[in-house]
Amino acid sequence: MEQFQWMFSIIPDAILNWVYWGIIAVGLTGVVAGWLGQWIPVYGKYTGILKPIGIAVLVLGVWLRGGYDTELAWRAKVAEAEAKVVAAEAKSKETNTVIQTQYRDKVKTVKEIQIVVQERIVKEAAKMDAECKVDPEAISILNQAAGGKK
Amino acid sequence: MKYIIIALILCLTGCASTVPVTMNFPQVPEELKTACPDLKTIPEGTTKLSEVVSSVSENYGQYQECKIKIDAWTQWYNSQKKIFESIK
Repeated sequence: MEQFQWMFSIIPDAILNWVYWGIIAVGLTGVVAGWLGQWIPVYGKYTGILKPIGIAVLVLGVWLRGGYDTELAWRAKVAEAEAKVVAAEAKSKETNTVIQTQYRDKVKTVKEIQIVVQERIVKEAAKMDAECKVDPEAISILNQAAGGKK
Repeated sequence: MKYIIIALILCLTGCASTVPVTMNFPQVPEELKTACPDLKTIPEGTTKLSEVVSSVSENYGQYQECKIKIDAWTQWYNSQKKIFESIK
């Protein structure tokens, strides 16, 4: 079925349009000729077969023409949706870049502050250690809290 | 009459169509994919306040980095959701 769709898709739209209108015209001619034929003596015997064929061709033509309009409408919608998706994906990437840049800047600031803090600790270590001795139990409590275990 | 109804139904089937247009799932920045590390513990047996302060301040820094990461994830989700909803 997809092969047929592909084959139809390579035929230019304008040609397809003319072909479908041609089928409708042939169908209409068949129906009208079948109706008028009943009053034409020699031609009259063919109306029995001409009428149903005309109707069938007319129905086929209307079916194809309707499908053609729907196809074009869907193609327009698909093109619109695809354009929106492309724009959204570009915006998404742009947003990612902004978030990434902000994240890196903030982490860099935190790391810089950490360096300053560690330098201060080194500088004040002798004073802190001379004035205060930490009980091992306090270390154990802090480690338990950091590990998040019972 | 029934032939007309059948013909009309046949004509309507020509209008049937499906259109699959999908957006790729947005990629998150690589930095945000890494898990937050465990908190640093203080060396057992130490009595130096400076070592305690050092470990605690490093953990504070670790928390700040994780907070930034979580905030970035929230920002990423909200902005991507907004973009996704804009194409509906």
